[in-house]
Amino acid sequence: MGVAYVPVARVGELTPGVMKEADLGGRQVLVTLIEGKYFAFARQCPHEEADLKVAGVLLDGPKLRCNNHSYCFDLASGECTLPQGGAPLTVLPVEERGEEICIKLEW
Amino acid sequence: MAYDLLIRGGRVVDGSGLPSYIADVGVKDGKVAEIGKIKDGAAKTIDAAGLAVSPGFVDHHTHLDAQMLWDPYGTCEPQHGVTSVVMGNCGLSLAPVKAGIEDAIVKSFVRVEAIPRIALEQGVKWNWHSYGEYLDNFEGKVGINVGGLVGHIAVRHHVMGEDAVERKASGAEIQKMRGLISEAMDGGALGMSTNRNDRHMREDGKPVSSRLADDNEFFTLCDVLGERNGGVIETILGRNKVEHFEWYHELARRTQRPILWQSLQHRWSEPNLWREQLDAVEPIFKAGYQAYGLSMTVPLVRHFTLKDCQIFDEFPTWKNLMFLPVEVRKQAFADADTRKKLQGELDTVKNANFHRRWDIPKVEKVFKPENQKYVGKTIAELAAMRNQAPIDAFLDLALEENLETIFWNANNGGDWNAMGEILRSPYVLVGTSDAGAHVLFGADFGYGTILLGLWVRERQVMSLEQAVHKLTFHPASIFGLQGRGLLRQGYAADIAIFDPNTVNAEEPTWANDFPANTKRMVQQAVGMHYTIVNGTVVHDHGRMTGDLPGQVMRGPLYRQQKAAA
Repeated sequence: MGVAYVPVARVGELTPGVMKEADLGGRQVLVTLIEGKYFAFARQCPHEEADLKVAGVLLDGPKLRCNNHSYCFDLASGECTLPQGGAPLTVLPVEERGEEICIKLEW
Repeated sequence: MAYDLLIRGGRVVDGSGLPSYIADVGVKDGKVAEIGKIKDGAAKTIDAAGLAVSPGFVDHHTHLDAQMLWDPYGTCEPQHGVTSVVMGNCGLSLAPVKAGIEDAIVKSFVRVEAIPRIALEQGVKWNWHSYGEYLDNFEGKVGINVGGLVGHIAVRHHVMGEDAVERKASGAEIQKMRGLISEAMDGGALGMSTNRNDRHMREDGKPVSSRLADDNEFFTLCDVLGERNGGVIETILGRNKVEHFEWYHELARRTQRPILWQSLQHRWSEPNLWREQLDAVEPIFKAGYQAYGLSMTVPLVRHFTLKDCQIFDEFPTWKNLMFLPVEVRKQAFADADTRKKLQGELDTVKNANFHRRWDIPKVEKVFKPENQKYVGKTIAELAAMRNQAPIDAFLDLALEENLETIFWNANNGGDWNAMGEILRSPYVLVGTSDAGAHVLFGADFGYGTILLGLWVRERQVMSLEQAVHKLTFHPASIFGLQGRGLLRQGYAADIAIFDPNTVNAEEPTWANDFPANTKRMVQQAVGMHYTIVNGTVVHDHGRMTGDLPGQVMRGPLYRQQKAAA
């Protein structure tokens, strides 16, 4: 049992609306800044594993659309909003800690 | 020489579903001339001893509308034994078209089918107006046979322009659309397709035009096919709950044409839906109408290690552990309290897509010699061999191998018994390859070779004869592909020659063969020795011959008109 904060970017480093890649324990995640809030999510679409760095489009909401089959996800909850009930996007909590933007992992 | 081509000594699986038999096949002038013990010689002879000789496969669900314009083989269709393809599915076709609506069609293809815009802009020349003129582009220029459905989206834009994505159609506009569909059928369309999937937008975020059609418009357009007694009606609603089947029933009853609906697939997230769908469609057939569900043969298979996988991401602790540094993760996996928490989440989290069945994931590859005995075993079997609980056996094996053990899992399509029932059902049309679409993200050209390799040879859910029937005469009959889909005297010599002991599909790989050097995914086959189109070999052990014997498969109304003329 524990908690870890894994840094993925420096404060001020993220360009709003741009997805930055990061490696967490060998898994690829994308981190972005939208309307002053940070969001982090797995780089693979949960539908058919399309690379969201290529296929992902950030939308108002904030949401993410995968351009492979147009699945849409709520970036805060990961919920698949189109089609409803689809497999959720893997999202991770993000916090600013000092000068670093970190993903919080609890187990 | 009596024959142009003689295929000697193969096992003829003739597409009818009847038992196979050993025979020679003589081909003359593009047709099957004789089957049996043939004494006469031929200009070319293929020794097919030990191989299956079947009709070429019919890939009825493609989006090759654009690709066939620059790639006469629809690569990689013939590599997998496909000799005929049907384009124009899901409401999307490149005709009819008139000046000013081309980009509306492109916008729809780009978003819905994930085809790179630059490839469409450079590869599609728009030198046609009607559907028949579009088909004319392929005459004498293709290596496989092509046919197509006229798409509701293009028809609606043709009549309404950009209003097609803004409003309902008027009665007069619907009548004009009926005229275009009728004209397309006269020009050789094999039917029509529509799209009501609420995911399907254009590139600009507007719904594809067919989504704005109400039932009155849709039924009135489909009536054209009923009145003219020809063609199939292909649909994608995006939802296929039991309540939708009343709609299919009404459409089938009203038009008396074959209805195709998408889709029917075993999914662990809704493990009984496929059964409910088959139960719901049966009364339509019992009443004397046709409403075939489309199903895919390719299971959603994942090869994973506990170093990098997402299949447990719906379970919070599993998810967080999978993003931790590997050494921290290993410590957590070894901790008894953490394991209790992990097991607890598997037991309590609701509505997960992961099946939570230890009898499905398998050990695929191990790295220590002493663990070799576990290869091919399910986690449940592994647990029994190690006298452990499944979660302990799973995690301990991975820990012993520094998390490098490779496991295998199938989520969709992972229940062999369910898949067997789906694939065998006479109400199910096998194959949604989507060839020509989603080209940056996958390739399922091998839906047929996977049916033969995975489901026939490995899982034995159906006979080779049944499977070949599902790939050939079954779709050819539904789509009205006259003279194709069977190995019988007088039928087109569209032939696949393959080794039933090895046939399968390889994993997709990258190619740069789209216009503007656009990259895309392709897929090669294993065990497909020859593919023959209208009597000419186009594919020989992985090599394309360069011949272009493909024909345009025009529908029944075109054929009637030609016969009358």
